[in-house]
Amino acid sequence: MACFNRASPALVEILSRLLSAERQIDADHCFYEFGSVKYHVQALASEPQNIYLSVLTPPLSPEFLLTNSLPNYLLHDIKNMYSDIVEIIIPPKEGFLLTMRLAVAKFPDHEENRRKMITEISSIQAVILSLQLKDMLWNLGSQDKTNGICKPIQLVYHPREPFFVVRMIEKITAIFPMRFKDNSDVVIATSFFQELMDVGYSVSCAKAPHCTWSPIPPQELRGESFQHLTTNGGFVSFDIFPQHVKGAKEDKTVWILLNFYAYVKHYVKCTRAFIQRKMRQRLESMVEVIRKARIGSEDHKTLRSGLQKGCPSVKKVFRLPKSKIFKKNYGKFSNQVRKIRWRIKVKGLHRFRRRWFKIPKFISLRKYTKLD
Amino acid sequence: MANSLRSYLTCIRNTLDAAMCLQNFPCQEVERHNKPEVELKTSPELLLNPILICRNEAEKCLIETSINSIRVSIKVKQADELENILAKKFLRFLSMRAEAFQVLRRKPVQGYDLSFLITNYHCEDMHKHKLIDFIVQFMEDIDKEISELKLSVNTRGRLVATEFLKQFI
Repeated sequence: MACFNRASPALVEILSRLLSAERQIDADHCFYEFGSVKYHVQALASEPQNIYLSVLTPPLSPEFLLTNSLPNYLLHDIKNMYSDIVEIIIPPKEGFLLTMRLAVAKFPDHEENRRKMITEISSIQAVILSLQLKDMLWNLGSQDKTNGICKPIQLVYHPREPFFVVRMIEKITAIFPMRFKDNSDVVIATSFFQELMDVGYSVSCAKAPHCTWSPIPPQELRGESFQHLTTNGGFVSFDIFPQHVKGAKEDKTVWILLNFYAYVKHYVKCTRAFIQRKMRQRLESMVEVIRKARIGSEDHKTLRSGLQKGCPSVKKVFRLPKSKIFKKNYGKFSNQVRKIRWRIKVKGLHRFRRRWFKIPKFISLRKYTKLD
Repeated sequence: MANSLRSYLTCIRNTLDAAMCLQNFPCQEVERHNKPEVELKTSPELLLNPILICRNEAEKCLIETSINSIRVSIKVKQADELENILAKKFLRFLSMRAEAFQVLRRKPVQGYDLSFLITNYHCEDMHKHKLIDFIVQFMEDIDKEISELKLSVNTRGRLVATEFLKQFI
């Protein structure tokens, strides 16, 4: 998913409009985000004090299938997160995992606080995902332990990009199999992963999770299906220790891990654009050399260098001799006088006159042209 | 500039200087046609021996000469995968804008990364020494650009990686 913000921009927009409206009107918005997250916002004119928001997110893991609604402990966590503005409706609306009733009257009056609250509510999808992941990390997987290592949990945040989380005694390892469509993307991403490893060893990032990249699957993924282990970009692993998920850091860490794919893809895209920009800049200087090689290019250059900067067509006017400018202006003036004196105006007649009553110009034999 | 590169470029410059004595020559096969003989290679008597100048295995320059045209093919240094991708991208970018360079061939000769085709018309239209300067500078610029791009991509990657890891702290 290419959105690094936790809040859904579309949802923020819709809620802001509904809350800023002076009189509540009937509104029914149903939309998808990233192809898999579905939102439904409903506001009724008959019930102006409430707005209904329903969300459907795909399950994060095949092992964590959500049937009709979210488990009670997740609902409880969500309720704790938001203030009394939000009320969770059980059971949720058909086809959705969660339905919430937003009390319009309880939103803060101050513009800044209101916007903050809307942003918080709009990040409901991120909250659900984070809670699911946290729940999986701390509570699940404890059954399948072999040598102190749990079986890897496969997480599918995006259908084509699953990643694995392995829970160990003292740490959690997140392993990302990296796949790219283009060969050049692989090379750019690989250089990034190597930098990520190098930076991880530096003093400035000593407290950050340890990052490793290997072209072959790590030991923890032994036994996984072949299709999950086939990659062209190798495997990136992050070792998450308790200090990385302490208190407020927990949400942030989970969100960063969920968006790692998007982050790498965004980096690759920006780097490609950067390369293209650099090449374009270089092209001009290279072409200039061959332009200079042309015979007569120097004369042309000296001629041009004497002129002022600006539009070339304008410069021509300034280069006209005074006599020509005078003739031109006189011609315009005489035409205008002729138009004024012409009493009967017939549309298109001037064109007819010009075509059929034109007196041919005879070149005088005595006239001569001055040779330079 | 490295000593080996200087001697490599000087050698190319001198060879081009000697080889670039082109004249108008109509095609011997088709009447009223004038074609670059180095491309057609229909008459062996109109061709000179090709000259291959190598700096190393990866960097070389082939100069093929005929009576009315010269073909200069260059193989650019590609030390690692990133350089390989950058060179490919840059050379493709230049080939797509070949009309701006006039003497650049859209498709390089097999086994090389970039080819120039200089005909007698180009020599009539341009200063010979400047044309040679252009080719030599072009080769220098490509090397420089690829090295700079590689450096920038790595620096950029390092900065982005630092920013990414700082989020955890």
